Amino acid sequence: MSDLFSKNYFEIFNLPASFDVDINLLTSVYRNLQKEVHPDRFVSSGERQSRMAVQMASLINQAFDTLKSPVSRAHYLLKLAGMDIDHEQDTSMDMSFLMEQIELREQIESVRSHSDPLSEVDRLLKQVKEQMKTVMQSFAAAYQQKSFDNAHELSRKMQFLNKNIQELDDVAVAIEDELLD
Amino acid sequence: MALLQIAEPGQSTAPHQHRLAVGIDLGTTNSLVATVRSGQASTLADDQDRSILPSVVRYTADKEVVVGHQAQDQAITDPHNTIVSVKRLMGRAVQDLKTLSQHLPYQFVADDSSVPRIKTVAGDFSAVEVSAEILKTLKVRAEKSLGGDLVGAVITVPAYFDDAQRQATKDAARLAGLNVLRLLNEPTAAAVAYGLDSGEEGVVAIYDLGGGTFDVSILRLNKGVFEVLSTGGDSALGGDDFDLAIAEWIMTEAGITELTSSLNRQIISAACSAKESLTELDTVTISLDLDSGKRQLELTKLKFNKLVDSLITKTLTSCRRALRDAGIEKQDIKNIVMVGGSTRVPAVRERVAEFFNTEPLVNIDPDKVVAIGASLQADILAGNNQDGDLLLLDVIPLSLGIETMGGLSEKIIHRNTPIPVTRAQDFTTYKDGQTALAVHVVQGERELVSDCRSLARFELRGIPPMVAGAARIRVTYQVDADGLLSVSSREETSGVEASVVVKPSYGLSDNEIEGMLRDSMDHAEYDMEARKLREEQVEADRVIEAIDAALIADGERLLSAEERQQIDKSRSRLTEVRKAGKAEDIKQAVNELEKTCESYIARRMNQSIHDAMAGHKIDEYISDK
Repeated sequence: MSDLFSKNYFEIFNLPASFDVDINLLTSVYRNLQKEVHPDRFVSSGERQSRMAVQMASLINQAFDTLKSPVSRAHYLLKLAGMDIDHEQDTSMDMSFLMEQIELREQIESVRSHSDPLSEVDRLLKQVKEQMKTVMQSFAAAYQQKSFDNAHELSRKMQFLNKNIQELDDVAVAIEDELLD
Repeated sequence: MALLQIAEPGQSTAPHQHRLAVGIDLGTTNSLVATVRSGQASTLADDQDRSILPSVVRYTADKEVVVGHQAQDQAITDPHNTIVSVKRLMGRAVQDLKTLSQHLPYQFVADDSSVPRIKTVAGDFSAVEVSAEILKTLKVRAEKSLGGDLVGAVITVPAYFDDAQRQATKDAARLAGLNVLRLLNEPTAAAVAYGLDSGEEGVVAIYDLGGGTFDVSILRLNKGVFEVLSTGGDSALGGDDFDLAIAEWIMTEAGITELTSSLNRQIISAACSAKESLTELDTVTISLDLDSGKRQLELTKLKFNKLVDSLITKTLTSCRRALRDAGIEKQDIKNIVMVGGSTRVPAVRERVAEFFNTEPLVNIDPDKVVAIGASLQADILAGNNQDGDLLLLDVIPLSLGIETMGGLSEKIIHRNTPIPVTRAQDFTTYKDGQTALAVHVVQGERELVSDCRSLARFELRGIPPMVAGAARIRVTYQVDADGLLSVSSREETSGVEASVVVKPSYGLSDNEIEGMLRDSMDHAEYDMEARKLREEQVEADRVIEAIDAALIADGERLLSAEERQQIDKSRSRLTEVRKAGKAEDIKQAVNELEKTCESYIARRMNQSIHDAMAGHKIDEYISDK
């Protein structure tokens, strides 16, 4: 029996440290862990016990949050592999990807002038999500082969693409709001 | 005759004794209290069999405080001293009220405190004090009908309440002498009432339109676990706004340009009853008693629907955002539960049904469902229902950030992050020898700090002097299960705990609350010392009981003989001190016992995690898919 605070996020959920995570399994273990440590279980057990419950439940929440999303999971895996990605200097990115990004940004910015802006958003979203899928597969493979520099670059691409998706969602909501008003 | 059972000294006489706990829905328009008796949750009524307590408080010249129906009856004749919809003022600052107060008949007093006070004939009162009167009334009602002291209460708040509004609610409970077991989000409470009742599994949306607030939550229900996926809403949008929309129409139609407080109340009250009538009728006649004589107006349902259309659209925009935050499509929503009196408005039901493409559920009384859900959780938190398989996993409704250069907010904890949550952030100094650092915490989604709610400003002091950039100050933000923020900090290179002085931007300081408690107790000749002593004794009993239960369960397995001896020593010291009856000593002995047990407690929790993982059966995984 080891201390919860000495485990990494994958160990907390008893999962192998890999990019491929069974989300149903992760969620199921998450719920069972919270059943044990959630502060609601310790409302009248004294201040120290409550504090410990808050700390443990927070850690489990943070671990769950990190592993649930592919982007933060990839980031965390690289940290586990010993890469100092929080203070990264190397932000190089292949030229063709950057060109694609510039083009995509222009397309996102001009969505509103499109004749059918909402279906244009849908088209771009589909395109970005496809690309994300490919990059994620490459990341999983690179990480497994311990090609961490390569994996690192792929994780940065995932961050870019994730941002694109968020921006497109925001645009969609803004357009929907205008159409409703 | 059965033999009397006598417990060993110091042990709890009845381990399964039912503890009296209640759920309270502290609403904008109405408040309710509910409890679980013999496994059944129900609301508690007053001596005239009324469950609903109007959230109205009237202060009279002879310093009497009248709460509920009787106060409501005086709202038109005595508008300045009769406080309605006080929930809208909770956690609000003087400057926030400028936009609200055009519609409010009260006079506000702005003094040195950051909290505005309402001027009445009986004195000036803050929203917290007014709310405390409502809570006191419900507490008295509950204790009378249950026949004993309450161990605690779960009090509901709108999911969209920010930190200041939550803190204000907790302060009101403290002032009313209630032990708050948990602040629970209203939609989550409704989901509990609904989900436990029906054994429903899957994703549900809770649409909660109350008198003054709107909330929407998306939850996943799974084997007694209620996991909030996202929440959204507007803490200043509700049925009151429907009334205002009608009131404005009335004023235009009747050509009213000058408003006295009393006329304002008359119009709003007429608007409110017109709204209620239009639930059943297609046309309603509004009668006004004006200085120029009597006046009658016709309002059709069609016109009313037009008046409130943009308000309903606002709620649906929040719904859409909540769905997006949850990563859920409309068609994944299995059911929509309607909560709050304002969901009786047919146009609301129609548009919600149209939006989700599903008929919403209205089978639990929308006025009672929140209080019922809160009472179910109170029952479990009080320890009455040990086998109850209920766990609520909630989220923080609004992002927390800190002010950075240029007045921008840098998000530290994003909205819809599961709580409790802890985040740490490192700062450094920018000048040689700098020993202090100021941090401004805000809540909200906007980029500019000026568009967010200011929660607190604090200063870190006592940083050891170093060259610029050498210090590493780690600030830890923690949001607990009530959704309340606390901050701590530490200089990492020296290990110095920099002191954090949090000044809530809008809220009562501890001193102010202590003062209010003292004032309110003066009449009752209440002794602060006696109260403190009783609180400490209750706490001591609680800790002893918890430790005893733990020791029986696994003391043998997890403790060495020496450790056990230490614990027994601290425990008997506490029972001795408890008898001697000095609050300070008890507090210290409790602390001592808890400290002695700390590693044992940690071991127990790690053990239970270990057991839970080992007991994780394969079939559970499969059934979840």
